[in-house]
This record gives sequence, structure tokens and C-alpha cells, in this order.
Amino acid sequence: MELILASGECNTADEIICVPESVNELFENPFLHGVNRTMLLTVFAVVIVIALLHFGIVRHKKRLVPSKFGAAIESLVGFVRDEIAVGIIGPEHGLKYFPWLLSMFLFVLIGNLMEVTPLINFPITSRMWVVPAILSILTWFIFVISGFKEQGLGYLKEIAWPSTVPVAMRPLVGIIELVSTFLVRPFSLAVRLFANLVAGHLMLSLLLVSGFIFITGQGGVAKIPIGAGWLVMGLGIYAFEILVALLQAYIFTLLSAVYVQTAVHPEH
Amino acid sequence: MEALLAVQLVAQEAAGLTGELSGSLNIIGYGLAAIGPGIGIGIVAGDAVQAMARQPEAAGMVRTTMFLGIAFTEALALIGFVLFFIA
Repeated sequence: MELILASGECNTADEIICVPESVNELFENPFLHGVNRTMLLTVFAVVIVIALLHFGIVRHKKRLVPSKFGAAIESLVGFVRDEIAVGIIGPEHGLKYFPWLLSMFLFVLIGNLMEVTPLINFPITSRMWVVPAILSILTWFIFVISGFKEQGLGYLKEIAWPSTVPVAMRPLVGIIELVSTFLVRPFSLAVRLFANLVAGHLMLSLLLVSGFIFITGQGGVAKIPIGAGWLVMGLGIYAFEILVALLQAYIFTLLSAVYVQTAVHPEH
Repeated sequence: MEALLAVQLVAQEAAGLTGELSGSLNIIGYGLAAIGPGIGIGIVAGDAVQAMARQPEAAGMVRTTMFLGIAFTEALALIGFVLFFIA
């Protein structure tokens, strides 16, 4: 708490709100041989995902009766396979994309859940160039490459000159489709995840920190009820953010699957 | 009495009423950007509930499509939210 407030060059005694020069200072302050908190948490998330899959699936195959942990991981993996990979992309192509979708889903999920993990309270998915932008660029490459692989140059032709649209409208629709497929899709995919997590993180920090400051700061007892109200509201939002973390991981994976599906299945 | 005055002062400061009106135009912009997606998500979710109530067997499919629709609609509000920071 004091670390964040005192990170700028300001005196917390006479000024409650200290604005650092740039918000990035809060996250990109290297504390260990040039390693900062975001890097450390990203590696941590990767380790957790690998451990979940290793102990939940690989090691677990040898047991006859699944344990609770194994059953939970299995149902998560089954959900991604049946609902997202096979359910959206289709039975003939779905399984090919399943490993990528599963690892992305778990990584984003763990990254999101760090927001509501006590003592971490910082989602790595709220740093644009750490997770969201990189993963959406990966998704872009995968759906473009698989589109060209499945349909050849017809893929580009069907987007830029759609045969289902009346000829007079084709140039206009073609331009809109080109922009929306190749530019808006990766942008909105990244911004959706990023903005949801930033908004949640900001809301939590503002409510909880200001509640804390109002209760413990100097000056009268009248401000204590206000601080308590903010704390209660912050805890309500805390529960809501768990839902958001799950939902955004699901939506990110779902949309990636939908983009691949539109690339591998030509519209008739 | 003193406590009441303190509460009033805090409220006035929070509302920016002690001096002249001040603040960022970005906030108004974000508020405007949130109107459309708010209505849109309401329509998407409401119609999805209706569809699920009328045909409970199709609930799974409707739910997936509902999330897709919400995700696309929500994008506009989120772009407004990001512009609020970078503008």
C-alpha cells in the first residue's frame, strides 16, 4: 500500500494523491537485476499452466478413479474441447486447433485471476504488450494462415469481392470486410481483454485504497462511514471481478475460435 | 453539526462544487460512448433470455451466441474507455 502511494516524489503526509510521471512506473520498476513485477508474474503464470496440465492430465492418466483436482482440470479441458474447439470450429478441423486454444485459455485465465488473487492483485493481462496484444497478433497469424491454407487465394477474394453480395455493392462491402477482418479484429480482440482488466483493476484499487485512506487518514471521524461504504462496495466489485476474469478468458478464446472458423469454412 | 459540515465539505469537493466547474472532457466522452453499447447489450441479453425461455433445449447455443453478441457490442464502449486514457 505505502509502496504504491510513495512511489512518486511526493510527501504522503500533506498530499493524499501522488501522481507518478507515468503509470508505467508502477509496474515497470525493476527490482531484481532488471526483472520487474510483470515479467515475474508472467513466468509464474506459465509455470502454473504447465503444472496444472502436468498434474491434472499427464500424471493423472495412470489413476483409475480421478481425484477432485483431476476431475476439475479434466472438465475445464473438456469444456474447451467440446464447447470451443469442436463446437465452434467444427468436428473436422476443431481438434487441430485445440492445443493452441487450450493453452491460450488457461494462460489468459490464470493471468486474469491474478487480479483477484490476494497479495498479487495485479492481472498481467492488463498490460497491453505483455499478453493481449501478443496473443491477438498470434491469433491473427493463425487465422490468416489457415484461411490461405484451406481456401487458397479464394480466401482473400471472398473477403474483398464477396460473391453473396449484389455486384453494385461489392466494392463497398469488400473494403469494409477487408478493414474489419484484418485490422479491426485483432485490435478489438486485444482491446477487449485489456480494457476489461484495466477497468476492473482500477475500480478495485480506487475503491479499496480510498476506503483504506478514508478510514485510517487524519481528520475527524465523519469520514470513516464514507470509507467503510467504499470498502464494502469494493468487496462487492471484487466478487464481480472473479466472474469477469472467467468470462473474459472464455470470450477471448471463443472469438479466436470464431475467427479461425470463418477462415477455414468458406461461406456459401 | 461539525461532522455534518465535514461530510458536506467532502461531498462538495468530490463533486467539484467548491470552485468553478473543472474536470476532463474525456469523462463526458466516455459517458457518451457508453450509451449505445449499454442499450445494445440490454437488447442482446433480453432477447437471449426470451429465446432461452421459449426454447430451453437451445439454451446452450443461445448462450454462446449471446456472449459473442455481447463481446462485439461491448467493443465500442471499451474503445471509448481506452480513448479516455490516451486522449
